[in-house]
Amino acid sequence: ATFGLYFPRKEYTENVYIDQPAGTPLLRIHALRDSHGEVAHFHLCQNLIVSRARSHENHWFQIREKTGLLYLSKSLDREDFNTLTVGNWMPLSKVMLYVFLSSHPFQGKECDSTTLTMVLFSLINATAPACSSLTARQLCFTEMDLSFHIKENKPPGTFHQLQLPSVHHLCQNLSISYKLLAAEGLPFRYNDNTTGVSVTQRLDREERERYELIAKCTVREGLREMQVEVPFLVNVLDEDDSPPFLPNGTDTADAVVEFNRKEGTVLATLTVYDADTTPIYPLESSRKKYTGTIITDDPWISETFRVEHIFDEIHFSPNGSQVRGTQHEYKLVLNKSISVTERRSFQLDVLVNDTEFHGPERSVMLHFNVSILPVSIQFPNTTYQFTVNRNAERFAQIGKICIENCMKFRGVNITYKLLSPNVSCYPVSILPGREGKWGSLYVNDSSVLRRPECKEIQYTIQATDKQSRKHTKTFLTIVLEGALLKKEEDCPDSCAVSKHRAECEECGGLGVLTGRCQWRQGSGRGITTNYSTCTPSIKTCPDGTCDVIERRDPAVCPQDCTSGNIIGGHGKGTGNLGIKSGHGICYCFPRQNCYCEKDDIKEQLCDEVCKTVI
Amino acid sequence: LAGPPSPPGQDPHGWRVPVDCVRANELCAVEPSCSSRYRTLRQCLAGRDRNTMLANKECQAALEVLQESPLYDCRCKRGMKKELQCLQIYWSIHLGLTEGEEFYEASPYEPVTSRLSDIFRLASIFSGMDPAATSKSNHCLDAAKACNLNDNCKRLRSGYISTCSKEISATEHCSRRKCHKALRQFFDRVPSEYTYRLLFCSCKDQACAERRRQTIVPSCSYEDKEKPNCLDLRNTCRTDHLCRSRLADFHTNCQASFQYLTSCPGDNYQACLGSYAGLIGFDMTPNYIDANTTSITISPWCSCKGSGNMEEECEKFLRDFTENPCLRNAIQAFGNGTDVNLSP
Repeated sequence: ATFGLYFPRKEYTENVYIDQPAGTPLLRIHALRDSHGEVAHFHLCQNLIVSRARSHENHWFQIREKTGLLYLSKSLDREDFNTLTVGNWMPLSKVMLYVFLSSHPFQGKECDSTTLTMVLFSLINATAPACSSLTARQLCFTEMDLSFHIKENKPPGTFHQLQLPSVHHLCQNLSISYKLLAAEGLPFRYNDNTTGVSVTQRLDREERERYELIAKCTVREGLREMQVEVPFLVNVLDEDDSPPFLPNGTDTADAVVEFNRKEGTVLATLTVYDADTTPIYPLESSRKKYTGTIITDDPWISETFRVEHIFDEIHFSPNGSQVRGTQHEYKLVLNKSISVTERRSFQLDVLVNDTEFHGPERSVMLHFNVSILPVSIQFPNTTYQFTVNRNAERFAQIGKICIENCMKFRGVNITYKLLSPNVSCYPVSILPGREGKWGSLYVNDSSVLRRPECKEIQYTIQATDKQSRKHTKTFLTIVLEGALLKKEEDCPDSCAVSKHRAECEECGGLGVLTGRCQWRQGSGRGITTNYSTCTPSIKTCPDGTCDVIERRDPAVCPQDCTSGNIIGGHGKGTGNLGIKSGHGICYCFPRQNCYCEKDDIKEQLCDEVCKTVI
Repeated sequence: LAGPPSPPGQDPHGWRVPVDCVRANELCAVEPSCSSRYRTLRQCLAGRDRNTMLANKECQAALEVLQESPLYDCRCKRGMKKELQCLQIYWSIHLGLTEGEEFYEASPYEPVTSRLSDIFRLASIFSGMDPAATSKSNHCLDAAKACNLNDNCKRLRSGYISTCSKEISATEHCSRRKCHKALRQFFDRVPSEYTYRLLFCSCKDQACAERRRQTIVPSCSYEDKEKPNCLDLRNTCRTDHLCRSRLADFHTNCQASFQYLTSCPGDNYQACLGSYAGLIGFDMTPNYIDANTTSITISPWCSCKGSGNMEEECEKFLRDFTENPCLRNAIQAFGNGTDVNLSP
């Protein structure tokens, strides 16, 4: 580091009273060194920031360049006080000063050093209090916490003075002495003569990052003795002085690409530890400090894979006390979807580099054994056979068509097609299921089902992978069965309209499998997902998802698909579609409202006769 | 050329009576010297850090002239018309004056002069229904009932509740942005005698405390998949003028101080509770972390994990929420219906 002097605190505070004489010492500031031989020079920027907004030229405060003692160079009288507090709304007026630090004497006005600390003076609208009116707490310590930070691996030095210069100056007849408790065996020392506290050796954050001591103060006034104890904390600041290492020596992982070939898939993860901390804020700069690069000349590999780096804070316990460290995770991720025909295996190396560590072991190599297996597009059994009732209505769901392992596929888009048979009977169609995994067979033309000449229909199904154009075929047999039922009159198009079990089960509607709607009897307790309702098929409606076939016509299953109003106690489904849960019986008028209500007219009302018995 | 802009009003002691920044901006605009300096300063601040700005003579001159203008001491009112515009004007000057990296920033809002007792007086009107039952009743439930009896409160409350609990898709649980907006409307437009009762009701059992925790629909407005680092969250908040102002207001009014009996600045509970409620609906939205009835712990949705060398600063920031005696005393005082008595 070129410039290593630093302040062990970010902020100092002290009170300033009206008419305190010029020359009153206020506050002592310390600096710590980066290397031996550095000398600290303190300097004030000639800008006072008043009530944190207005700036003002500083006429009152001075600092001793060598010792860091801040003192009043000019008494602050009532007029000055008024000037400085004008427009101040705060209950407490504060002025702020910046103290700068340099390793060489300051020349002229220099306010641009990056090493600065802030001094806040509270302006008290009164003359300095008499020593006798101050409490022991006020005589011994300021309101600020005694909390410091010291960088690891730096030379020892004095970083604080316990005695308050202003009190010492004001109350010379009082005896105020200090002690540092709980410091035995710790690298800190208190000097009785100067009341200075120093760190006695280089600290190592990876050994211990926090020291908790107690500062004790004793005030003696004649025979009276008062004591105050406050916590004295030292935090050790981290620098990058540890190399990355592998937990249990693991530097290799297997990455297999088979059914899941989608872009963004995480194939494998390897972990690297580091005893140093890594701030997650700002995130991007920390990512840049700790890099993970794929080592390859093959453009296909660099296009197809990427490495994602995440890191998290973990704890180490080197010798009983906990210190923070970092766990870095490097994930091998697919950068694009891989074709089903691809077959390769190779070793992919990732170089992890701790760029701010200045030792020889700043990097580790991670190895991923990548195997890309081809997958075949084929049907599991040679033929499909489905039986369809002749009374089924349009949009009745017959079954699913699925190639081998179709549910395991991701990033593979299969289209299913029915190749038309040579006969005129053509009642069914196919639609793609979710993510192109399967095909849903449904009745497209119910009039064909009723025709006596159609009995058994042969289709050929073709499944095609969109990307590779690979395809496979199989046969499908549709067997029509059942006697034709007489159609009830005055039945609605949609099962969902029926409110009672009787009217539900005697009518048909769009999507029914056997000519009649089905009644689902709910549990009937409060607002439940298991509400009572009338549906074309209990298996598919309501099941909480508005599938591709239900989506074709709002009359099929409004319970899953409605986007209209639902009147009565209910909960809406995902994406505001359908009724997820309802109160009592839910029924719907397609393209209009749905209603969920309790059917309570079960008990006979007490009529005039029953009232007059008593 | 005209002299410095005439002060908008001065009280007999020569102290400038504050104007809001929108008005101050209008006053500055009609003064050629003021408006040109203001333009210069805004150009100075655009894309430059404070130190480079102060080094520039022209910028410094602009700053000095503006110190005498009403823009300098201008403030904004919470929920005023053109609040955002007012805050933009405020920060356009103040960002250049403070370090920007300051731990506590001064509030751009006018100080709160009303006291909690003003709220209690109004609250007693609708809580007087059944005085015998108050000892065992659920105060948070009572607060919800009281809100439902007021058309404005009921409308805006059901507004934010339905917005915040509307599921968008299987992956997106709700629209956080819309939920925050609806919450801000509720807390800006409903009088505090209703909103404070909902937020700060006192509880003796867990059901009540859970209702209190649920007031802001935390599943949408508060919780998130991951907990960001608090300093990162503060940084996000500071990029937005409104959030930055509300956070500065919270720090001004709730910063614990030994100098006061109640630990609150000026012993003003009302100001602290108001600036707490003002944070709801922003990135820094605070809430009760659990349904504990005996100890109240408040926190924004963040942690100090991963702070690196800034851990001390991060914890100090978080403690102003989690272990703040001023905030805790203010909430408890509201729940108990007690306020500090101050002579006028």
